[in-house]
Amino acid sequence: MEDLQAAEQVNSPDGAGGGNGDSQAQEVGGRGRTLRGDAWRRLRRNKLALAGLTWIVIIILIAVTADLWVTRVLGDPIEIDTTRTAELSLQSPSAHHPFGTDKLGRDIASRVVYGARVSLLIGVVAVAIMVIIGLIMGAIAAYYGGIWDSLIMRTADIFFAFPYVLFAIALIAVLGKGIQNVFIAIGLLGWPSIARVFRSSILSVKETEYVDAARAMGASTPRILFRHIMPNAMAPIIVYATMSVGGAILTEAALSFLGMGVVPPAPSWGGMLSEARGYLFTAPWLMLYPGIAILTTVLAFVLLGDGLRDALDVKLKE
Amino acid sequence: MPALLEVDDLHMHFFTRDGVVKAVDGVSFTLEAGRTLGVVGESGSGKSVTALSIMRLIPEPPGKVVSGDVRFKGESILTMSDKEQRKLRGNRIAMIFQDPMTSLNPVHRIGKQIAEPLRLHKNFTRKEAWDAAVELLAQVGIPQAAERARDYPHEFSGGMRQRAMIAMALACGPDILIADEPTTALDVTIQAQILELMQEIQARTESAIIMITHDLGVVADMADHVLVMYAGKAVEFGPADEVFYRPVHPYTWGWLESLPRHDVDEKGLLCPIKGQPPSLINLPGGCSFGPRCAFARDSCRETEPHLVDIGNGHLSACHYCGDDEFVAQSPRCAAGGR
Repeated sequence: MEDLQAAEQVNSPDGAGGGNGDSQAQEVGGRGRTLRGDAWRRLRRNKLALAGLTWIVIIILIAVTADLWVTRVLGDPIEIDTTRTAELSLQSPSAHHPFGTDKLGRDIASRVVYGARVSLLIGVVAVAIMVIIGLIMGAIAAYYGGIWDSLIMRTADIFFAFPYVLFAIALIAVLGKGIQNVFIAIGLLGWPSIARVFRSSILSVKETEYVDAARAMGASTPRILFRHIMPNAMAPIIVYATMSVGGAILTEAALSFLGMGVVPPAPSWGGMLSEARGYLFTAPWLMLYPGIAILTTVLAFVLLGDGLRDALDVKLKE
Repeated sequence: MPALLEVDDLHMHFFTRDGVVKAVDGVSFTLEAGRTLGVVGESGSGKSVTALSIMRLIPEPPGKVVSGDVRFKGESILTMSDKEQRKLRGNRIAMIFQDPMTSLNPVHRIGKQIAEPLRLHKNFTRKEAWDAAVELLAQVGIPQAAERARDYPHEFSGGMRQRAMIAMALACGPDILIADEPTTALDVTIQAQILELMQEIQARTESAIIMITHDLGVVADMADHVLVMYAGKAVEFGPADEVFYRPVHPYTWGWLESLPRHDVDEKGLLCPIKGQPPSLINLPGGCSFGPRCAFARDSCRETEPHLVDIGNGHLSACHYCGDDEFVAQSPRCAAGGR
């Protein structure tokens, strides 16, 4: 009996990771490592996701520290030097203005940096709003079912049936321009997808044996929902929310491009693209740099989301 | 003094779009403290639904207890409030599930999961509950319990997970432990260990066990009483010796005959019970087992037999169980006609 027990212990799946004999995995592995630690280890093996994460961290650092150095090094993103406007206008990239200047003589690099603040803020706040609404709606629909399920999911279907950007424009037309209304518009429009993903995720977790086991243990309904179901249903939401940040940034850019987003002269990537429309051939850098900023940032969030999906998927665990 | 657990003519039906599924259709038994009841029957015979009904874990709707009662220490579980039921579950009546691979929550540490019933029912602090969980893990034979308690379920093997499940079920010192095919998902050596562990625990804690299984060997090994189920009904119930050595229901005969035997030279032929279990929506008239029974007579197709006491606490739902001449036919392999 004791021998068998010992054998059993040896055979137990000890290192859940460590497939490619990677020494760091060994170092992190061992007793008491967390599921989050496991996911982080898998994420680190995904080079593209790591690149995305690095780029996001760099942009966040630049945006957060912008006040400390940008104005001094690159110039003010909003103020126009009225005495030298003609001289400074539409300069091509140079040592002094690495991304060139716009029609009013403002430094493009400085505006791209401050635009990052707007984009990141929109991405995070709008997605937070849509995640909060979506989680509540999805949880109610899945757990209470019946009439609530029908009501919430049919409302979500109606949202899906509307042309997204048109709906956003209409909302902003009603609410008025300004960054907080962009948050609201994107948040209100985005929740149905989150609700739908969370609902199906909860429904599948609800049927598992460990939820039955929790009930058999005498746990109450709220406890089962919050302690046993939610943590197991969150992974797809984390992935979806990460990817949605990219989507929200794009939507803001589209709205600003159409003049319905951030109000000028405040810099935003979409707004800068809009201003650059007339200079596509004469001053292409006007469009190039904000365009690159949007592309790389959105791509970074999508790559990170993709990596998170693999990292958080328990089924892929060796 | 009332028995620890009394199940009295329980009918649990499921109301589905296709019709009423009579998953449990007349099951009665009593369980005394410290005893083991073995529940055997084919897949779909209502064993698990009976267990889940006792725990009140059947979602309603679609399920509904149409009639009958379940009494714990003389008090009906069916009329209790949700809150009172929760106080019983995991505390006085605990359950071990079939598949240890899926019945532990993958996001919580093993120790935390074992500690949870203590936190719920005994008002232990986090620290007390954790220490108790480590102690329980050690009791169910996990080496280095203090460290292993910090593991997640995926770091445990199947046998260890089932041990952890048992520790979780034992946490509050339940009066009744319901084990729903606890060894089906495990390999044979681990099965033997788990059964040994359960017997050891029973000897120590004196909790009653309801052991649901397909495996007559397990029942013969552990059970004091045996309940044989067929198509949602109890067809034979009694002390294990009575049921094994003096079975009176043709279905039980079939079960015993279908076991592979190595002590009889029969050219290795198995003797299964012929036919398929009936649909629980459309039960045949009369005796549910009638269409498959080699001894069926006209009356079997006409009237439904009910459980009759034939002495020694031995009950059977066969029209002829009291007929010595009929029972004497109890063949070694009538169905196969050897």
